[in-house]
Amino acid sequence: MNTIDPRNFQSISEASVSVEIETEDMTLNIGPQHPSTHGVLRLVAKVDGEKVYNVEPVLGYMHRGYEKLAEVRTYPQITTLVNRIDWVAGFSNEIPFIAGTERLMEIEAPERAKQIRLILTEMARICSHFVFNGAYALEVGALTPIFYAMEDRERVLDLIESVTGGRFHPNFNRIGGVKPAAGSGPTTKKNIQDLPVGFYRDTKLAMEKVIEAADKFQNLIGGNEVFHKRTKNVGVLSKETAEAYGVSGPILRASGVKSDLRTQTDYLPYEKFEFEIPIGQNGDCYDRWDVRTREMVESAKIVLQAIDDMPSGPLQAKVPKVIKVPAGRTYVRAENPKGEMGYYIVSEGGLGPYRLKVRTASFSNVSILPVMLEGALLPDLIAIMGSLDFVLGDVDR
Amino acid sequence: MTDVLIKVGFVALAALNGAVIFTIMDVKGASWMQRRPGPLHVGLRGFIFPLAEILKFVQKEDIIPTDVDRPVFKWAPAYVVVSAVSLFAVVPLSPTLVVVDLELGVFFALAISSLSTIGVLTAGWSSANKYSLMGGLRAAGQLIAYELPLILAVVGVVIQAETMSLVGIVEKQIEWGVPFAFSGQIVAFLIFMIAATAEMMRVPFDMPIGESELTMGFMTEYSGIRFLIFYISEYMSMFVLCAVASTLFLGGYHLPFIPTEWVNIYGPISLITKTLILGFILVAVRWSFPRFREDQLQNLAWKFLIPASLLNILITAVLKVVL
Amino acid sequence: MEDFLNQLKEDFNDVSYEFETILIKVNVENWISTHEILRDKFDLKFFSWLSAIDWDNEVSVGDKPKEVVNPSFEIMSCLSSVNSSNLVTISTFISKLNPSISTLVNVFVGANWHEREAYEMFGITFEGHPNLTKLYLPDGYEGNPMLKSFELISREVKPWPGDVDVEGMPEGFDEENS
Repeated sequence: MNTIDPRNFQSISEASVSVEIETEDMTLNIGPQHPSTHGVLRLVAKVDGEKVYNVEPVLGYMHRGYEKLAEVRTYPQITTLVNRIDWVAGFSNEIPFIAGTERLMEIEAPERAKQIRLILTEMARICSHFVFNGAYALEVGALTPIFYAMEDRERVLDLIESVTGGRFHPNFNRIGGVKPAAGSGPTTKKNIQDLPVGFYRDTKLAMEKVIEAADKFQNLIGGNEVFHKRTKNVGVLSKETAEAYGVSGPILRASGVKSDLRTQTDYLPYEKFEFEIPIGQNGDCYDRWDVRTREMVESAKIVLQAIDDMPSGPLQAKVPKVIKVPAGRTYVRAENPKGEMGYYIVSEGGLGPYRLKVRTASFSNVSILPVMLEGALLPDLIAIMGSLDFVLGDVDR
Repeated sequence: MTDVLIKVGFVALAALNGAVIFTIMDVKGASWMQRRPGPLHVGLRGFIFPLAEILKFVQKEDIIPTDVDRPVFKWAPAYVVVSAVSLFAVVPLSPTLVVVDLELGVFFALAISSLSTIGVLTAGWSSANKYSLMGGLRAAGQLIAYELPLILAVVGVVIQAETMSLVGIVEKQIEWGVPFAFSGQIVAFLIFMIAATAEMMRVPFDMPIGESELTMGFMTEYSGIRFLIFYISEYMSMFVLCAVASTLFLGGYHLPFIPTEWVNIYGPISLITKTLILGFILVAVRWSFPRFREDQLQNLAWKFLIPASLLNILITAVLKVVL
Repeated sequence: MEDFLNQLKEDFNDVSYEFETILIKVNVENWISTHEILRDKFDLKFFSWLSAIDWDNEVSVGDKPKEVVNPSFEIMSCLSSVNSSNLVTISTFISKLNPSISTLVNVFVGANWHEREAYEMFGITFEGHPNLTKLYLPDGYEGNPMLKSFELISREVKPWPGDVDVEGMPEGFDEENS
């Protein structure tokens, strides 16, 4: 049982040496404390030397029970909770929940509020992809890009902070709109400031820097021979497998599926803007990296278009003081940086939801790990795991 | 007796100082490339950083886990540091400023440099940690694979110089007028540098340490002063191997257009400058490349570097006979 | 969207469209076949999620259902298409006494972890599941946290203050000086 199948050893089979030594499999415990598991994921890997036979992910080290907690909170309180699901792009988590609540209450947020949401959620996407770019380079052994990534991300985070007052957990959305911005000076009843002074100018500069940075990464990381060797044809994921497992977002697109909820659904007014949906051909680690890096540029372009064409008007629709959501159920999904995030809200007409199902992208994305890692080499395990770009808060909820 | 002690002290101090200089260079190079303010500006423009680093490790507790093979675990760093330090004994700073000018200097250097394998392997084996074990085995595989191209690359130089003494090799280069790296041994020089990088276990060949995969490889369980010894000896071997490379390929202590009577003064400066230039290349490579995979590294060694160095020997030998 | 809804109505009896979400209610016996039909005939190949809802009149925390309900588990799953914006949610009711339903793993492999989650959170058995073990909760954990009867210990220690989650000001606190 423990004999090695020589066909699986590429380098050895090339030299046509057959290995038939009886060796014992080693169980390697990767995580929950490990530099490359993005937090507290634990993989129990059966390895034979460098080769991985079987991987069993163990979850739950960061399970915070949001679905249960949501049942004992009111709707406005839940936005604070959902911020913490995927903390790398905190803002994006609020959007589908707020959109779902608005849909159940049959409130339409004003156009201007929607556009501010759109700008900030795209900025959150840029931040998330910056972190991915830096962290992924680190995982394949290049130490420098993370410093560039963090430096450039800071610029975008500063913008998010100037509007919302929070860098990671903005809690900025309100049912029926957004709250008045943080850095906008005194707010009076007549004069509600929404975006801080100089926001458009700073955003323009920052987005140009983002496009520049994405270009830099294409050269620094994507132009590196060793990086190609480590990522091309590694961890190939086919379209069909990805769909059956519910893998979404950039990973699905890297496998060649042109699926983007920003154009497929209408949770935010994306139809007003022109942007491309980058897709990959092979579905390997390189494509996943490439799709995300190209997405950064597209997001920056969306933001640039959005600030050029800001509708004016109020930030809040008319909302009752005590928010009671009429009975009903709806599912709203959004294209988050990590993939499809959705909330299934079951309301019974109370102050809080009767049941809130949180569908997170990373949960489904990580569930594919055992399939992808079977037969991989240990360094590839890290490369594949990193290319899935998951956040443990998003996996465990 | 005093004579020997002075020489031993000189070698140890020189290697240690070299390691400190290289540490500063590595860290400052890193912060320069990564736009990090820390080691560039803090504390006398970052120059007392290594001191702080050393003090930090010295004051830390030297933890020895329960299940380790204690004597082996304790002594493993010694092999590594001894191998790095004693290598410096044969490197000439000038024709006379050399600890010992062995007839078989090259042979001695290569033999001593492979001693560190034992240290790394025992460190990995005795740590009672699966990551350490994998790191140790990776290191063993890597060091064996890269020992060969390293030696074979030097063979070309030895054929061209007709001697194995390091002083003799430098004298031969002075005789030629052009260092070997630019007179026929360019391929050998490149192979030597690649193999030496692998020997030092630096990026892109740092799989035995492989932070993101094996946490810290064979060093995972080490802490405090023993970790410091591993850390310093990495820079020592970097310094010493660069010194050997500049001696073999770049004319060592020699500088052209300067009267050779002054060689005892400019010799050390010249050698150290050349060493630093080579070291800087390694630093630049380290901070810009990702890491290879273990099988790709073996493929590179066995399928490319070894045939290339054999071919180099063949061509050198043929030319030697013909010319 | 209209076309898609009409097509669905041809194949299924109970199709509703509320709040921009299609809900297909099926019997437990048709649970697997429904998914197969949706996957093969309607090109809904993307398995989004699977979960359950605990319908109960006795609720330890949170709001009660609006009307008196028949205590039962509602199993929900969601399928969508990557090529269009089509999305359906499928629901079926099972008894609370011996909650079990056949597994979807043979239709959509991605259901594996979702079913394990529902198993530990609600105590629902998925028959034929290859590895029905706990996913999040530690070994030896007793109880199914997502059941409405499961008490939140923190709420026992400190009661839920209602819709305004703020503590009262400490005594002697002067608002003007703050």
